[in-house]
Amino acid sequence: MRKVVTGNYAVSWGAKLARAQVIAAYPITPQTSIIEKLASFCANGEMDARFIKVESEHSAMAACIGASAVGARAFTATSGQGLLLMHEVVHWAAGARLPIVMGVVNRAIAPGWSIWTEQNDTLSQRDTGWIQFYCETNQEVLDTTIQAFKIAEKVFLPAMIVLDAFVLSHTSEAVDIPEQAEVDAFLPPYRPPLKLDPEDPRAFGALVLPGEYMELRYKMQKAMEQALSVAEEVDREWGERFGRSWGLVEPYRLDDAELALVTSGTVTGTSREVVDALREEGVKIGLLKVRLFRPFPHQIIREMLAGVRKVAVIDRNISFGDSGVFAQEVRAALYHADKRPPVFDFVAGLGGRDIVPETIREIVDYTVTHDAPTEEFTWVGVKI
Amino acid sequence: MKKETEARVIVFTSEAEMPMMPASVASTLYNKTGSWRYMRPLYKNQTPPCNAACPAGEDIVMHLQLTAQGRYAEAWETLVRENPFPGVCGRVCPHPCESECNREYLGGAIAIHCQERFLADYAAAHHLSLPTTNVPQREEQIAVIGAGPAGLSCAYHLRRMGYQVTVFEAGEKPGGMMRLIPEYRLPKEVLEREIAAIIALGVEVKTGMRLGVDLALKDLQGYAAVFLAIGQSVSRRLDVPGEDAVGVLHGIDFLARVERGQKVDLGKKVAVIGGGNTAMDAARTARRLGADVTILYRRSRAEMPAIDEEVHETLDEGVKIEFLRAPVAVLTANGRVRGLRLTRIELGAPDASGRRRPVPVAGSEYELEFDTVIPALGQVADLTFLSAEVQTERGRIITDEKTATTRLPIFAGGDAATGFGTVTAAVGSGKRAALAIDSFLRGVERPFPDLAQNVQVAPRPHDPNVVRFEDLNTAYFEEIPRPPQDQRPAAQRVTTFQEVNLGYGEDVALAEARRCFSCGTCNECDNCLIFCPDVAVLRGPSDDEPFVFNYDYCKGCGICVSECPRRAILFAEEIKFNDQ
Repeated sequence: MRKVVTGNYAVSWGAKLARAQVIAAYPITPQTSIIEKLASFCANGEMDARFIKVESEHSAMAACIGASAVGARAFTATSGQGLLLMHEVVHWAAGARLPIVMGVVNRAIAPGWSIWTEQNDTLSQRDTGWIQFYCETNQEVLDTTIQAFKIAEKVFLPAMIVLDAFVLSHTSEAVDIPEQAEVDAFLPPYRPPLKLDPEDPRAFGALVLPGEYMELRYKMQKAMEQALSVAEEVDREWGERFGRSWGLVEPYRLDDAELALVTSGTVTGTSREVVDALREEGVKIGLLKVRLFRPFPHQIIREMLAGVRKVAVIDRNISFGDSGVFAQEVRAALYHADKRPPVFDFVAGLGGRDIVPETIREIVDYTVTHDAPTEEFTWVGVKI
Repeated sequence: MKKETEARVIVFTSEAEMPMMPASVASTLYNKTGSWRYMRPLYKNQTPPCNAACPAGEDIVMHLQLTAQGRYAEAWETLVRENPFPGVCGRVCPHPCESECNREYLGGAIAIHCQERFLADYAAAHHLSLPTTNVPQREEQIAVIGAGPAGLSCAYHLRRMGYQVTVFEAGEKPGGMMRLIPEYRLPKEVLEREIAAIIALGVEVKTGMRLGVDLALKDLQGYAAVFLAIGQSVSRRLDVPGEDAVGVLHGIDFLARVERGQKVDLGKKVAVIGGGNTAMDAARTARRLGADVTILYRRSRAEMPAIDEEVHETLDEGVKIEFLRAPVAVLTANGRVRGLRLTRIELGAPDASGRRRPVPVAGSEYELEFDTVIPALGQVADLTFLSAEVQTERGRIITDEKTATTRLPIFAGGDAATGFGTVTAAVGSGKRAALAIDSFLRGVERPFPDLAQNVQVAPRPHDPNVVRFEDLNTAYFEEIPRPPQDQRPAAQRVTTFQEVNLGYGEDVALAEARRCFSCGTCNECDNCLIFCPDVAVLRGPSDDEPFVFNYDYCKGCGICVSECPRRAILFAEEIKFNDQ
């Protein structure tokens, strides 16, 4: 069934088709319509799930943790400040190895108060042990939401589906909504290996002494590493069943490219247009979209970028005192490569400022006209 | 004490042996975390303010709960267990319960009187019989004097306890003052039905037997106990010149004549003197008989003792009310009323009743023409037939909180003893007497609160603490407006004696019952069960005990207490309990 839906509704449809059993959420712009839709699915009986209204995002995640611990498939969604308020239990969900799935609409952090897109909210959860996907289109949002449950439940780590505020969350596109039976065949019910049972209570998440703690962290890292291959395999299976797959990263006209743009989220779509236009003009440019950010696919990125002469990363985020976060990761991934192209980093579009084709052309011009970056990153479009 | 679980120490030699998250391998049930508790939650229903305020001692919250579940027959049974006159009280009670209702702050008090009426009408429509009690029959014969609400209530409750009861009534028919309530407020059919249901239980009613005339106290010596419920039948006089002229007709006499279907010639202009319910009844009845009616009241609107709705309805029907007026003389011509000389009044310092004392304004007198003057200043009891052994004080029979007079086994209640002046209070008084007579005859002790409080035949276990609005967790309640009751339009009302208030239909009654907070009374909302972080709230063994605490694991966090929307859980310091 094809339907015109917003990015947010694509998340809701994903959670519905994945048969989430517990949804605990607190509304926040620009996430609200995700949970409104889910609440109405629950209310009108289209979805057999318990919708728990909570008083904060911290409680939302705490409720998901409880639900997941007893073996329910749990889902929540949030954005910006809400995600930050949730932070303590975001760690807990991962440490407790609970395959909760969360839709996060990227929203810039206050102050100054903002509701527009920027990646700092989700990137500040980088080290929590959550799998993170950054999506470009509404179809990708829906598909990734369902895939995320399968990946999470195979490696016992929670997963975030990230989408840009408004540019994706509130923009409608035609989306293929798979049949429930096909999704059921793809995603079997969740069967936890360890389940909280009030009839036979166990201490969950109790004190661990220094003699054992590190082993638990080792196991989390192993699960993250495993998630790379699982994500690839799940995406392949998805492709076989539904005729679409997305890859962990997606190269675009990169084969003979001398200059590679590295993008994430909706900037990718705009960048594709610019790449096409520049190719017409004879510029040997390509693009690498990073879809899976955690675990970071170092090896694939290294292989894909090793051949290019220059890399330009577009970061809709900033790690204050350093550079954009994606650039840090790309540089680190390339460090062990035999041939290391210079990595230019461009911080652009913070607080929802538009990144338009001209912005990307400016980035390309700068990269073309400089042999190597003269500083850690370059501000784009700042009125200095 | 044997340990429930052996402690096990597992030494891991590699990460592969470890679970992916820290979880105990054995049950944690051995760890009785209840020992950490220093505050203890207790399921203990509190007193809802409506129940506390009901003069008849009804379990209002419980009948609302049952109505809310659509269990109308059970709701009605709960109601009539305490009050055999729900159809009457649902129509004429001034409903002090509603004045205390905590819903007032979120949409308006629950229309309890409409609920009561709905249940009574439901029972009538479904031909429900008063529930039987299945108690052994008792030998003792009890005499009840007066078949008003107090006497019939007493007879009803005594009969339910198995006693043989004879009611002696001075009038031609049982009902007492209830019979004088006009048809448009209380259809006779409703009254007759509820009286007949009591008689059907085996209560004997002998009419035309006036104590002191047809019957003397000493004739009742064969009875194990006597309950005096003789009411207040003597009208208070105006004490002004001309009072005995033709055309002066006291309120209850006027209402009685209309009730008996006798023709009353009122003329055109009628003055009703007084501000109570009898004054309203007289004025509205006169209005329906075609008169131009003016009520003269010596105080202001705020001091009027009549039920507020009654005053509104009276005004709506075109009756005029003049405040701060008092008659100085009845003006006569040829021994017949031609008008009133009135004085203006100012309100002075509060008197014994707490209301401001009316003081005539010197030189303010004036005259108005009237064809009929109806004083409705209240009544007093006729106590002339009583022997000195039954002591009286200021026109009332002296009783203690057990309704015992100074001469046992004579008991007394209703208006003649209490002067409370409402059907509902009389019903409560009669019930108190029934319980007291039973205690007296069987020689058992039972607690009786003072006369200002109510008594119940079948009290549920509850704490005397009355729940107030601030005790509730109002996060759980939305503001929902009280539905209006349908009324016949005023223009139509003044041409007929058909009932003014039309009550609630089932849909409205159901919604209205669901609006009840159920103050202090568990209605199994499951909040405590859901919120308890220690799974220490368990479902209980029966409906009477819907939940129990597992104190082995209750840490005393108090979340159940604060999340109980209706304050049905108490929280007490653990040090007060010695059972562990």
